[in-house]
Amino acid sequence: MTARRLSWLVPLLALSAAPALQASTGPTLMPGTAADVLQAVRAPGARVVLVNVWATWCIPCREEMPDLLRLRRTYADRGLRLILVSGDFTSDTEQALAFLREQGVDFPTYLKKGSDMEFIDALDPHWSGALPVTLIYDSSGTLRDTIYGKGSYAQFEEKIHTALQ
Amino acid sequence: MTGRMVFTALALTAALAAPATALQLGDSAPQRDVKMRNVDGRQLSIADVAGSKGTLVIFSCNHCPWVRAWETRIVELGNTYSTRGIGVIAINANDPSSHAEDGFDAMVLRAKQRNYQFPYVVDSGSTVARAFGAERTPEAFLFDASGKLVYHGTIDDNAEDEGAAKQHFLHDALESVASSKPVDIKETKALGCSIKYYGS
Repeated sequence: MTARRLSWLVPLLALSAAPALQASTGPTLMPGTAADVLQAVRAPGARVVLVNVWATWCIPCREEMPDLLRLRRTYADRGLRLILVSGDFTSDTEQALAFLREQGVDFPTYLKKGSDMEFIDALDPHWSGALPVTLIYDSSGTLRDTIYGKGSYAQFEEKIHTALQ
Repeated sequence: MTGRMVFTALALTAALAAPATALQLGDSAPQRDVKMRNVDGRQLSIADVAGSKGTLVIFSCNHCPWVRAWETRIVELGNTYSTRGIGVIAINANDPSSHAEDGFDAMVLRAKQRNYQFPYVVDSGSTVARAFGAERTPEAFLFDASGKLVYHGTIDDNAEDEGAAKQHFLHDALESVASSKPVDIKETKALGCSIKYYGS
């Protein structure tokens, strides 16, 4: 993996000095505001970025997660970056980490921090706050599309293709 | 089935699944005469519960962790303001095939356990929720005495920790309406559970 392709991790890794919540192995779940998430979106190196906001208790979120992770594997070489943001309460952090581990997530992810309203409006003013949501950004970090509710593999893939054009 | 029929079927399915655009401030409550089954067995509509000062319609359910986190506050607000001229109705629009705990029997139990002193009704078919453009639980719509929407949004700014909440949006809006004053903060948002529409 080149340094350029790793560069998007910098905003996430920079947060590791904060009280990161880490499992013994596998994923990390770090507190992140909308500004942190958008910084990771706009870090150089990606041609398309999916930001998925999910929660452990949200069945549609759990159902679509394998498709998102499969897309990440399939399109990594074509510049897809997947950023996961858990909307779980901080008291549910362990459950969130357990789910990520169970799904085979081995990269840093976020736990939403701060005001819900600021978070929602900063990511997409048209989003009501209902979970799940998946936001599609282009290489400049501009929001191109949003899938409100559960998406399918084909639906995500179509949005990725459009953003890659 | 022809391609045209397939397209039509897909379009109809999409139309059923998708909520309408959310109500705008100043709008009246749609579907206000639709009767819904209350936990006490009565058939009630929004019009039936409307108060002299205003009406609070809150889309809720049993299973959602955000509803559970806010439930004590929701019940307290509902019980308090229903005695101050505000009609209050909680509506469960979720298809219980998605979450069994959102079924009618569980609603009856929940309303009893948590001492709901206002109706908690079933929006069978999600007809009312779709007409409101409601998307999540909990989601509050507050109408003034003239029936116009004056507040749409969430309960307060901290679901997880009541003691840490700094802005009590719904309380403040209810207090304004009960006092026949204009609402200051009219629209708010929070994370929440998506409504599990029938047919989606």
